[in-house]
Amino acid sequence: MNLLARAIVVAIALFAVQALAVAAIAAVRRRANVYALIVVVACATAPLVFLAGPSIVGRPLSTEGRAFLALMHLSLGGFLFHFMTLPDRSVTLRIFVELLLAPGRTLTLAALGSRYGVRTMVGSRLDQLEQGHFLSIRPDGVITLLPRGQRFGRFVTAGRRLFNIGSAN
Amino acid sequence: MTRLLLPLAAIVVFFLLSLITVRVARPRDPKRFFLAFALLLLAGTAVAYLTLWPLATIDDALGLVSALLVQLLACLTMWNAFYSLLWGFSGSMMFDLFNDPSLLNRERLIGSYVGDGPVDRILARRLPNLERGGWVAIEHQTLRLRPKGMVMAVGTLAAFKLFSLGMGGGVK
Repeated sequence: MNLLARAIVVAIALFAVQALAVAAIAAVRRRANVYALIVVVACATAPLVFLAGPSIVGRPLSTEGRAFLALMHLSLGGFLFHFMTLPDRSVTLRIFVELLLAPGRTLTLAALGSRYGVRTMVGSRLDQLEQGHFLSIRPDGVITLLPRGQRFGRFVTAGRRLFNIGSAN
Repeated sequence: MTRLLLPLAAIVVFFLLSLITVRVARPRDPKRFFLAFALLLLAGTAVAYLTLWPLATIDDALGLVSALLVQLLACLTMWNAFYSLLWGFSGSMMFDLFNDPSLLNRERLIGSYVGDGPVDRILARRLPNLERGGWVAIEHQTLRLRPKGMVMAVGTLAAFKLFSLGMGGGVK
């Protein structure tokens, strides 16, 4: 096998192993944060990849080669992190799945709204932002932005100004 | 590790090109530009790397693949930050809460998303694009998955199950 093909096969294998490890841990610890799992798995296994580099690649490696391999491994963890945001966070993909699971694979707009409507979406995001200490919500519904939320709000506002985004969502 | 200066330079160029594009050209669909920049810069890095460090050993090959992966990851992170944080749902909500004090109330915030039209603000943004892109068909206020959307839905459902994500969509 030529050198580049070998490196690509190793990359695919490292990605698959990380994804399977995350899936296995997530299956056992169902309440765990999947993003934290990905980071922990990637960081915890990177030193192992560095040490076991020659065995993984099937060739002798210099220290620099081992470092490249460990960096490759960490980058692949980053890709898994990004990939996970799609099924986990995307409103569009959730709509697709609701349609897939619906009888006849069709839904009226009203039926879609009752399965995955604005109240569910906004309520759930607010709850998550509250759990993440971005904001607090009083029993009467009044929202207060906490320092972390203020920073996030400032970041999004500045980013939208920088990238000329007039309106979104 | 000096080889990693190549992807580092490409990442800076990607950011600057993206910034100039959205500020000056103001395209309707910036992601096509981001994709083109990312692919061109990947090709550029690969050519430059192979010119400077031809693949003589497995270390060289690992260096090339890791450089390309780091570069692609950084581009993807910027792209994701642009679309998910600045344009996404939670980011938009925080933008609204930060800039409009009248929305600092759960019911008023939800009401602002419900809107006055036949569909809420969230679907109103997405449905025209999904229909235009051939993902869903909309007839008589009814949505139906088209083959392209079906493939995506099956893949998403598989990811839900594989990674124990529940039903995704940002709902916990």
